[in-house]
Amino acid sequence: MAYGRYALDNTLPTYLCDLTPMKTLYSNKKNTLSWLWLMILTVISTFIGLVLNNKTLFIGTVLFIVFLKGQQIIDVFMELAQAPKFWRRLFLGYVTVLPIIIGFIYIL
Amino acid sequence: MDSELEPALVIINNEQILAEHRLPGDLAMWFFILAELTVFAILFIGFAVAEQLNAEMFIEGKAKLHQVAGLMNTLTLITSSFFVALALNAMHAGDGKKSAKLLVVAKLVASVYIAVKLWEYLSLFDQNIDIETNTFFTLYFMITFFHLMHILLGMVILTFIAVKANKNEYNASNITGFESGASYWHMVDMLWIILFPLIYVI
Repeated sequence: MAYGRYALDNTLPTYLCDLTPMKTLYSNKKNTLSWLWLMILTVISTFIGLVLNNKTLFIGTVLFIVFLKGQQIIDVFMELAQAPKFWRRLFLGYVTVLPIIIGFIYIL
Repeated sequence: MDSELEPALVIINNEQILAEHRLPGDLAMWFFILAELTVFAILFIGFAVAEQLNAEMFIEGKAKLHQVAGLMNTLTLITSSFFVALALNAMHAGDGKKSAKLLVVAKLVASVYIAVKLWEYLSLFDQNIDIETNTFFTLYFMITFFHLMHILLGMVILTFIAVKANKNEYNASNITGFESGASYWHMVDMLWIILFPLIYVI
């Protein structure tokens, strides 16, 4: 007797197989919204220096935007929001800790 | 009939739960991505430290870079990544042809990045600036060229998965290769998102 996906593929009608897990976890709409958000954040981070005169605030804002953009890529494009927490935390840790280290180097 | 389907539906539900907590792509690719991220983290931190040690040189060097070109490259990489994400959705939906077309669009957008990057290099060479000019340009050429190599490798990977997608060689139970390639491309995008403000903005 077969079990698991092999059993499913061979015993269930198509309309039930369509419920199987490999269906898209993210919709194109979510990807599009994420893309728009990334584009807006990129333009803001490029020109924010024109309105922020304080060096610490400027660097802090630009690096915070790096974190926001990284989070979008990790959670939506890389689809790690639904992955095991260890991997999501590892990658979010990267876009959190690296900008903090860079920020300290520039500000201190 | 209902009693026969019930155990199968339990399996489906369990698999859905697993799918929502599974790592996309191959585990080996994620370790490779982690290794790449570590190398770039060292380069980024090295660049920031060198800037603190040579503040004036770095201010002058950054002034010679074309910020709008950097902005364009960021926008193109984000857009390319977006099309790769759409291609993965299409593949999950079982539409290999559409997925392959979206991957071609992603590569075309990425070629704009390559063209702009090469234009940037050539315009610097025209000003007699190269990798040996000073510490800033050594690091600039080293980091951006290293990143460019990753873009080129990513494009080869995208071509490979586009060909396979076009032949409908991926399916619901065999899509990890596609996901691994897509994840690599998103990593290249993510690295540029840190590189761009570090070299062009701050």
